[in-house]
Amino acid sequence: MKKVLGFLSLILLMSVSGYAQKAATVEEVKFKTSAKCGMCKERIEHDLSLTKGVEKAVLNLDDKTVSISYNAKKTSPEKLKVKISKIGYDADEVIADQKAHDRLPDCCQKTADAHQ
Amino acid sequence: MKNIVFLLIIFSSGAFAQSIQGNIKDSQNQILPGVIVSIIGEKGNVVFSDEKGDFSIKPVTRNPKLVFTLLGFNSDTLLVKDNSFLNIVLKESNATLDALVVNGNATVIDRLSPIQTETLTTKTLAKAACCNLSESFETNASVTVSYADAVTGAKQIQMLGLSGAYIQTNVENIPNLRGLAATFGLNYIPGTWIQSIDIGKGVGSVVNGYENMAGVINVELKKPENSERLLLNAYLNHWGRAEINLNTSKKLNKKWSTGILSHASMLPTEFDRNNDGFRDLPKYNQINLINRWKYQSDKYMAQFGAKYLAEDRSGGQMGFVSAQKSPSIYGFFNQTRRYELFSKTAKLFQEKPYRGLGLILNYSGHFSESYFGQKPYSADQTSFYLNLIYQDKIVDTRHTYKTGISYLNDNYDEKLGGLTRIRNESVPGIFYEYTYNHLDRTVLLVGARLDKHNIFGTRFTPRVHIKQDIGQNDTWRLSAGTGFRVANPLAEYFGNLVSSRSVVFLEELKPEESLNLGTSYIKEIGKLSLSGEYYFSKFKNQMVADAEHDQYLYFYNLEGKSYTQSALFELNYGPKKNWEVKLAYKYVESKQTLGKPNREKILFDKMFLPRHRVLLNMAYALPYDKWKYDFTVQWNGKRRIPNAGKTVDLVNYRTMPVIYAPSFFNLNAQISRNFPKTEIYLGGENLTNFRQKDPILSADQPFSNNFDAGLAWGPVVGATIYSGLRYKIP
Repeated sequence: MKKVLGFLSLILLMSVSGYAQKAATVEEVKFKTSAKCGMCKERIEHDLSLTKGVEKAVLNLDDKTVSISYNAKKTSPEKLKVKISKIGYDADEVIADQKAHDRLPDCCQKTADAHQ
Repeated sequence: MKNIVFLLIIFSSGAFAQSIQGNIKDSQNQILPGVIVSIIGEKGNVVFSDEKGDFSIKPVTRNPKLVFTLLGFNSDTLLVKDNSFLNIVLKESNATLDALVVNGNATVIDRLSPIQTETLTTKTLAKAACCNLSESFETNASVTVSYADAVTGAKQIQMLGLSGAYIQTNVENIPNLRGLAATFGLNYIPGTWIQSIDIGKGVGSVVNGYENMAGVINVELKKPENSERLLLNAYLNHWGRAEINLNTSKKLNKKWSTGILSHASMLPTEFDRNNDGFRDLPKYNQINLINRWKYQSDKYMAQFGAKYLAEDRSGGQMGFVSAQKSPSIYGFFNQTRRYELFSKTAKLFQEKPYRGLGLILNYSGHFSESYFGQKPYSADQTSFYLNLIYQDKIVDTRHTYKTGISYLNDNYDEKLGGLTRIRNESVPGIFYEYTYNHLDRTVLLVGARLDKHNIFGTRFTPRVHIKQDIGQNDTWRLSAGTGFRVANPLAEYFGNLVSSRSVVFLEELKPEESLNLGTSYIKEIGKLSLSGEYYFSKFKNQMVADAEHDQYLYFYNLEGKSYTQSALFELNYGPKKNWEVKLAYKYVESKQTLGKPNREKILFDKMFLPRHRVLLNMAYALPYDKWKYDFTVQWNGKRRIPNAGKTVDLVNYRTMPVIYAPSFFNLNAQISRNFPKTEIYLGGENLTNFRQKDPILSADQPFSNNFDAGLAWGPVVGATIYSGLRYKIP
């Protein structure tokens, strides 16, 4: 029974910490990326959304910028740029990680023609 | 999840006024002419895609829901919010081989299939992370799983108030968990291998055979051509059960792909929390492997593979090693080896997608050795299965049919102590099924099959299914049909063999024959979906397993009435984007005539079946499932159980006291956190820590006449905490 109580309180703790996030300072930042198409948009939004401290990530395909709402206590614009680089894309002055970039499908690589 | 999104939409620029235009292709980028494009709720507003795959349709309503239908492809529905040009990619439904079940995206209840079908996707399955098919139904109200006894760890499913024996369990439309696999088969399909589970309620399609008397559960495994390149899953619970699953898939070239699904698990520790001297769970270890190859071209689709399974289980009193090494300790032991070979081939007709020819071949060998105390039980089964299906249209694609031939060969060889049961079945059969489909709103399925059983003669099996959409949001279904099967008493009542009961066959068993009728109604009101269903099954003959007398397990043919009725009401609600709530109530009444050992005929409630059951599931997830919380609580009503008091006069069924087990709650919860490639989860089962008191009768004297471990009706093990991770390379 003790284990169960321990487990339940763990759940409670985790939920509370989840809500606590909302109380924390949320800031927004925008980077220009080397995204090409809808697949890139999906990939970047998916991976960023699952990153620590990120509340929301939306990529605009018209100007290739990604807007990120993040918790300033858990991450920073520098860390986020590195993260985007590791997904395989440029983020402002941070160049895409070469290995990650080369793993992307052909249509998502920088050499690909502009398309949507 | 991505691999089960069947519809790929790529929006192009350019706005069109009023009418919606688009182009339809298949996944090989081939143009698809003749696709029926209709709009839900707009009767008569139907167009076909032209020879270039283009279509144009003018909706009357705002935000219309477009439906794309083409035989041989998965139909799909798309909500259109603007006038962008649509590029639709329809996914092939593996031609004829996927039979009738249409997989939805994340939809729980299928709106297109004429058979009431519920689909559990990987998302649903991840709600209860542990571990195999037997644990996949924890958040589902239709199917319930319970332990068969307190020693072996065997589990039984139950649906529509009937035991799993009456539900055909298929793996990719090949009948799989049948015959001897009825005992532990649910443990033979690891959860990580599963892509989706379709639960079809009521009699199934005649294409799948005559055994699906009350339903079909079809398990789709991860496909080599569209699964993750690598998926690694590790699991550990606090009793010491450890599992590891590794799936790999590789596309060799445009046509060939191959995949390996592997699994290893064990429980190396023994524990006895209820202090009855018996292990609460058997120690076990299992190795399970599938390798398969797939070839796909414009004209042919072929798939073949092999499966191997090895499992050892050892339960019983603490300290048990083996019957030779520890003869004074009561032990249960089972060793199972299983081999399967399967192939599916289909001839596709590129210009005539409604036409198809498919062949399914399957061989399986099941070899097991067990003993209960000092009593040995050996059971072998080899089976061969063939199903050849041809489908085509009549005049136009509203009228289609499937026809074909099947052949089933089963060889059983069982020895329990001095009792020998050998049975060779050889059953050729033919079937024909006609489908009338009007815009997917009205679907009529009429089928029949004729099987020539070498022992039990020629059998005719007719079935009818009707689906009708009413208005925009309502769906009504009706099904009726007969079925039959030959029971395997020892495999199906394996748990009752862990006792001092003597097994007595009062007569030669005849095949079980049933009639099943059912109806269901689904109503969708915005984010709320309500469904109600009622099924009635009546048996003309049934194998009766009579455990009313404390020292005997009698098997005999039904003489008199046997029926089961079940009703299920379910409410699914997504009040906010990230919330999901399911509330279900299930009613079951199952009665069977007993009393043949005393030449009596008394109608009794079937044992171990609660009449009332309530399930509540709540789930909350952050976007992209970064954090997921899942919570399930189940209330199980009281149920009739065998009479354990041996002082009672058991001579007369009429005066026999009727004993009930109490009702109880069961609580499961889970939290998971998703990273781009990894997911970790932590969960708990049976968190109310409810345990059946004294699940084993005369546990202190296992070699006495009163010993019985087959009386389990509730959890034997208390709360279980588990944790695990999944790592994926897409």
